[in-house]
Amino acid sequence: MTAIARRLRAVPSWQVTLSVALLVLGFLIAAQLSAEGPRVRYTSQERVPLVETVIGLQSQQNALKDRILALRAQIRDLEAQMPGSAAEERALNGQLEKARIASGLAQLAGPGLLFKLEDADGAVGNDKTESLVTSRDVRVLVQELWLAGAEAISVNGERIATTTAILDIGNSILVNNAYLAPPYQISAIGPTDLYRRISSSKAFVAYVSSRLEPSGIKLSFAELETVTVPAFAGTVAGRYIRPTVPSQ
Amino acid sequence: MTPRRRNRLTITAVAVILGFLVVAQLRGQVADASLAQQSAQDLTLLVANLNTQNEELRGEVATLEQQLTSLSDTHARGNSAAGQLRADLDRIQGWAGLRAVNGPGISIRVAGQIGGDGVEDLLNELRNAGAEAISVGGVRVVPGTVVAGAAGALFVESTVLGGTFEIRAIGSPQILTGSLTRAGGIVAQLSVTFPRAQVSVTPLDSVAIPATDRDLAPVNGRPSL
Repeated sequence: MTAIARRLRAVPSWQVTLSVALLVLGFLIAAQLSAEGPRVRYTSQERVPLVETVIGLQSQQNALKDRILALRAQIRDLEAQMPGSAAEERALNGQLEKARIASGLAQLAGPGLLFKLEDADGAVGNDKTESLVTSRDVRVLVQELWLAGAEAISVNGERIATTTAILDIGNSILVNNAYLAPPYQISAIGPTDLYRRISSSKAFVAYVSSRLEPSGIKLSFAELETVTVPAFAGTVAGRYIRPTVPSQ
Repeated sequence: MTPRRRNRLTITAVAVILGFLVVAQLRGQVADASLAQQSAQDLTLLVANLNTQNEELRGEVATLEQQLTSLSDTHARGNSAAGQLRADLDRIQGWAGLRAVNGPGISIRVAGQIGGDGVEDLLNELRNAGAEAISVGGVRVVPGTVVAGAAGALFVESTVLGGTFEIRAIGSPQILTGSLTRAGGIVAQLSVTFPRAQVSVTPLDSVAIPATDRDLAPVNGRPSL
């Protein structure tokens, strides 16, 4: 016994730390691999294929969005280095860059706020749905942030653009047709006093006191020096709109 | 490199991988657990939404790939790309609200007592139905535009909306009209929430929507990669 204890004491502490870390690492890798499919099988039989289909489609959606962002970056780089570089082309490139930034096609970083909206811990009253965050809750918060002076907003990483709809789907929401599960993190870039502005809005105060507090829905916030709002990764190709006066 | 330094680096590398996996695992569990709680009906709806969205995203990928190929050819030949740049600018500015646009769509006449939240619900439904450009009382709706105020005292940006105002939207007239006026749709819901308001929808072959007056250039945010 004393020999074993002596040998254990002789093991360097970094080896012990590394062994524990590798053990946890192995556990997590195994958990991650097993999560790729079979984890959802605890749902009822008829929902299993549907859940698996949704996971597959979400994965496709993420890959398509990554591809769109990569293509836009390649196009932007290529446009910037076009030969000839006549004054006209330089001017057009400048306008394009401004339009991309103004329209949400570029990731932005700046001072701002993070809000987190979470479902209530338990059902309040007879109606459990009252204690769940709905798309309307998220929309109200987004609208109040706009009115307070926010200049870029995202919900769980989905940029709010001109065509963004926020909808209910069961107990969760869709933003830009991406499925988002609670809690919802709303990131907003704006003036450094954005929180003071929104918290002095009568409509926001009324929303908190009449909707959030009675239902038990939790709203927390953080003021940050740097908030990152990702670029919009959806479709910009309009099938119906045409500029009234095309560029000359 | 000393053994001590090597050990530290090894532990740091393992800790980084560990942290990444913990976050990935937690995120995955939240999303999957949420999906498992959805009803079969909601999951079916979600599948339909994701299919539609993915189809649109594939269309966007195809458009961008074509644009990239065309630009690469122009670049290789050393030609001017002004025409392509203008087309790209038209597309982005039109979508973003920086340019006046027209196209087929609908006109919605709203009269009577309706709150800003009701109008915002209507705009949200229009976006969901595929509206590509929207205006309210002649004001282009862009990120940051909110119709606010109580019934009878609505405003959008600096424009006060009177007792009767018009919402215009460009998109498929049939789909937009059908989405709004279907049984149980947003027009029916608003008639219950705001019984003293009247909402009528008219499909049109051509709708004109102005550019925004807002300066959309960020003041506090800066582009970051």
